[in-house]
Amino acid sequence: MGLVNFLAYLAIMMGIYAILSLSLNLQYGFTGLANFGHVAFFCLGAYTSTILVLVFKMPFMIGILGAMVIAGLFGYVISIPTANLKEDYWAIATLAAAEVVRIFFLNEDWVVGGGPYQGGSFGIGGIPQPLRSLFSAYTYPFFYLAVVLVCLLATYLIINTLTQSPFGRVIKSIRSGDSLPQALGKDVRAFRMKVMAIGGTFGGLAGCLWAHYHGFISPDQFLPLETFIVWAMVIVGGKANNRGAIVGAVIIMVFYNSTRFLKDYIPIEEVTLASLRMVAIGVLIVVAMIFMKEGLIKEKKTIY
Amino acid sequence: MTFTQVIINSIVRASELTLLSLGLTIVYDILKFANFAHTEFAVVGVYLALFLNVTLGLPIIAAAIIASIVTGFLSIALDRAVFKRMRSSSGIIVMVTSLGLGIALRNSIRAIWGADAQNYSVAPQAPIITHYFRITPLQIWIVLVGVAAMLSFHLLLHHTTLGKAMRASSDNPELAQASGIATEKIITRVWLIAVAFASLGGILIGLETYILPYMGFAIIVPVFCATILGGIGNPYGAMLGALVLGFAENFGLYVNFGAILNLGGILGFSKELFIPTGYKPAISFIILILVLLIRPRGILGRKKEG
Repeated sequence: MGLVNFLAYLAIMMGIYAILSLSLNLQYGFTGLANFGHVAFFCLGAYTSTILVLVFKMPFMIGILGAMVIAGLFGYVISIPTANLKEDYWAIATLAAAEVVRIFFLNEDWVVGGGPYQGGSFGIGGIPQPLRSLFSAYTYPFFYLAVVLVCLLATYLIINTLTQSPFGRVIKSIRSGDSLPQALGKDVRAFRMKVMAIGGTFGGLAGCLWAHYHGFISPDQFLPLETFIVWAMVIVGGKANNRGAIVGAVIIMVFYNSTRFLKDYIPIEEVTLASLRMVAIGVLIVVAMIFMKEGLIKEKKTIY
Repeated sequence: MTFTQVIINSIVRASELTLLSLGLTIVYDILKFANFAHTEFAVVGVYLALFLNVTLGLPIIAAAIIASIVTGFLSIALDRAVFKRMRSSSGIIVMVTSLGLGIALRNSIRAIWGADAQNYSVAPQAPIITHYFRITPLQIWIVLVGVAAMLSFHLLLHHTTLGKAMRASSDNPELAQASGIATEKIITRVWLIAVAFASLGGILIGLETYILPYMGFAIIVPVFCATILGGIGNPYGAMLGALVLGFAENFGLYVNFGAILNLGGILGFSKELFIPTGYKPAISFIILILVLLIRPRGILGRKKEG
């Protein structure tokens, strides 16, 4: 892989993870919902779009829409039992829900039509890339990068508008306890559910972009590990700041992808290197939580 | 599989889960945060025992005891380094930090010992086989250790000064401190006890199955589920939760739901309907969701704060 191709790949990954990071930031940073199962939306988006485009031969746009709708619905449904509860319950319930989604796709190969498309633990290959025939192998990544950046920009604009609107002020008040928004007559439960649905929608978008870029998805790409990487992005970048979420995604992705070249210089095994990389991510979360509570880009405090 | 066998498997599973959920619940009770690194601490103990047992050649019982105590002290050191700095932070902040710590621990283990499955060096023991069930001496040990842990927790909470101080700190930390109870000292002991028991539970699971760096993550949902099921922060609830979960996990796969749906022929549902084995990890999650819907504070949950 040439350097230019690698940079295009890195930029695409940054864009996709920035969408994930923005959507988790809406849930955790702004609303205080400890969603430890964000990868569920990513997974659902990837599978929904793959099924629509590959199996049902729908256009890519329908794939994107379907991915967003299904992931958003899932966010809404998963918050029904938890919407009134404390953060501890959110964390474990979302973590477990994400595992159930993964186990579902691991066990049920019929959802991708079975037979010719395999599915189950084998994964699904041959996912069509949108407008692939119009570009050469060399120029296609740049076209896809443009698609990702347009999606990222749309996500940023929508979430930024939301968080600066009256809706954003309500969810920020939910973060510091239920009593204030309740005293103002706000239905806290409904707001939490909406936030999960909106965050889920964009998580689904990221999953769809990911599936159509790689052309292959399988359940073991959607391990809880992915959720934790996105958490590191939100925490390092700066929670409750949308630009911070994007900066966090860029930093963590650069770190994550640059360390893979270390094995060319230091005699170290691939497995060990992968483990050490995750040790660094874990330590980074701990250190950032202790010494850099606000992250790199601080939340803008507005006095009304 | 016979009915008796399913009961035995359930009790063994419940004993393992008890050892882990008791620790999680008392840390929550005193420190007021859900410790997502709890099961990872247990895996540290599992691998320390592997080192003592396989590399140094100690007998497994000695290895298990030493490893559990060392892991307990390691958790105290990590508490000093990490959690002590955040005593006044909100539960969610500390919870996210513990998640980061858990990731670091799990992957450190994988970097040191590799990702492959390993086993303790123990002589294979002949299982006791009867017409109705099959049980290994190890499984009997697991149940005995589980019961001993429950009894010692009960004695600890109600018949020692430490237990009284723990209960006082849990109810009202400020009042406890004002009454001359050294909260920090209690926290230290709670970590030692909680993590040593968790490590013991992990080692027993490792003996019964095999040892993997990811085993902590594989049990995090059942352990949290057992803890929440009985009412988080309540040791007796954790024991009850572990029991309920142990039975649910095993009976969930054993029961023919088709016969239940048939309702003695009323609905005419004649198909056999079992939960596929692949969904076993999902059972604890389904129970968790049901409990959160019906009794958000758990079976023995008490109403404490708004």
